Amino acid sequence: MKNFLLLTLLLLGNGCEPFVVEFPDLSIPKKFEAANVDSNSKTYQGGGIKVLTWNMRFGVGRFSFFGDSCGEDVIADEQTVTQTMAVIAETLTVIDPDIVLLQEVDLSSKRTGYWNQVQYLLDNTPLNYGVYASVWEADFIPTDGIGRVNMGNAILSKYEIGSSERIQLRLRTDQPDYEQYFYLRRNILKSEIPELASSSQKKFYAVNIHATAFATDDTKEKHVVKYLEILDDIHSDGHVFVSGGDLNAVPPGATIDYCMNDICEGESYHVDGIDPFHKEGSFFDNFIGEPDILAPLYQLYDSAIAEDFINLPEHYTHAPSTSMLGENTIRKYDRKIDYLFTNLEWDDMSGHTHQACWELSDHMPISATLSNLTED
Amino acid sequence: MVRALIFLTALLVSITRGGNANWDSHSAHIMPPKKWSVGIFHPIRYGIKDGLELSFHPGWSFVLPNASFKVPFSDFKSFNTATRLSFVYPTPLLNMLSRKGIGGIIDPNLTIPPMLGVSGSFIMSREVLRVNLTVKAGLDFGLVFGDLDVRSNIDLPIVYHRLEVFHNGWGLHSGLDIDKNLTKKIRIFMDVDLRFIPDTSKKGKRKNYTMRSGDYSIEHKMLLIWEYSSKFRIMTGYKLVSGDYPYGKQTRLLPYIPFVEQWLPLIELQWLR
Repeated sequence: MKNFLLLTLLLLGNGCEPFVVEFPDLSIPKKFEAANVDSNSKTYQGGGIKVLTWNMRFGVGRFSFFGDSCGEDVIADEQTVTQTMAVIAETLTVIDPDIVLLQEVDLSSKRTGYWNQVQYLLDNTPLNYGVYASVWEADFIPTDGIGRVNMGNAILSKYEIGSSERIQLRLRTDQPDYEQYFYLRRNILKSEIPELASSSQKKFYAVNIHATAFATDDTKEKHVVKYLEILDDIHSDGHVFVSGGDLNAVPPGATIDYCMNDICEGESYHVDGIDPFHKEGSFFDNFIGEPDILAPLYQLYDSAIAEDFINLPEHYTHAPSTSMLGENTIRKYDRKIDYLFTNLEWDDMSGHTHQACWELSDHMPISATLSNLTED
Repeated sequence: MVRALIFLTALLVSITRGGNANWDSHSAHIMPPKKWSVGIFHPIRYGIKDGLELSFHPGWSFVLPNASFKVPFSDFKSFNTATRLSFVYPTPLLNMLSRKGIGGIIDPNLTIPPMLGVSGSFIMSREVLRVNLTVKAGLDFGLVFGDLDVRSNIDLPIVYHRLEVFHNGWGLHSGLDIDKNLTKKIRIFMDVDLRFIPDTSKKGKRKNYTMRSGDYSIEHKMLLIWEYSSKFRIMTGYKLVSGDYPYGKQTRLLPYIPFVEQWLPLIELQWLR
């Protein structure tokens, strides 16, 4: 009888897991390992370390998803996800980075056929280890047929990943409570990679961020400030980092208004008396200082794309997937919102924005190579 | 919010299907002629004539036309036996739930074709050591008259495996119910039901992209029933659902209120005339 009661209590306890997962300020991310870890590549042999950041848009390519474009689609079909994921894996294999910072990775979301995209990429690229921190995890989102969702940030690495933290970022304050309950919980994912530490005193960290896109309050400022705080702490403690992600912020000196590029049929912006005046996520001057919000990062750390080139079209990293130049011409990219930084030095001219990947996501990957760590 | 209430109602309807030997739908006993029972979430059950019982959810009739017929079968080794044949036409409800914005449960780009669900069950009941025992087993068929997109599932406990019958074409169900008087006025009812969709996991687990995986669901319910009179009763309890889904295994205690992240005991009132 006692065992029966215990079993019943255990089952009832299991059955009360939260419907929408909320996170504490600090938590431990999920760890992954490739089905076949390559014992040669998991050991650092010297030479440069190639790092790549990519918002991979949950492997749906330019699918006209309703949530981030003018699209109306919700659940991607099998062919779209299968083909896109295969080419993403192939692209990562060809570029051959040592460390990959990914944003918008799906783990078991209905919209991408419940695909475990972290495990797939580990099993189909030279990368061996991964950590994953959910941004959006719910049993069921009762809107537009989304259903179950688990999307997040991931760090993939050839080398074993040590202690990792999921650092919660502040939630938006410009949403009603019921919307916030089902909404994203953005975070910074910070992982130590012991294999790349030059000494026991000088640790090597990879830091991945996906900052808010659509907030019209000061949430973006809070996210960037927290990001800087984390990088500054690593730096001031004498450790090294490679870091980056989708900051959803334009570089200093960039155009700040993309409303008319992103406008959907039936919408009106920049019209007096019509609210909102600007399109959410397409305007980068919502609070004082937003246009220069990334200036401290450029002042303090080395950018994969040198400051002189950041506003050149060849380094644009994003345009919404349904953005059109003309009736039949897709606008592939029109702004830079993805970045890579380090407190070491990137190899001269190693920074590259892979615009040839424009069909694989609405963001372009950026890669760069760190100078030989053994010379540090 | 209205859709959330409809969903909650659907859960409660499922939870409260069960009860006592004389006027409960789970057992092999047939409602006597001209007698009827109804509950807040319970279907109307009506004895059409001696040996024929009809039950249906009147509140759902416009969006989820449904009817169930139960007829007695010859007794078998001191068991009362019966067969039940149920029909449900879920297309109008599912197309209502396929919508944009809040309350959209199915991708609005998908249209659900005409579909008819047919379930046949064989039910055996008897009293053993002052416990009313019912065992049942049966087949479910999902007849689809058109193209049913594989993405048009609803990945929620209780609902997923019932809809999966339409994707798979058929499924199996079985169950055991136990009903015992604790006092003269208070009874306890417990059941365990298994739903099984053959081959679903084999088909789904071969792929990375899988809308159809997870072949079983076990549903357990416990209710405390207060027989206030021979014509009215109140019941409270829970339902526990554990199953395999396209995203893996999950156990969920119901009814569960998302915003407050709390389980809430079910309360149901039923009347007999």
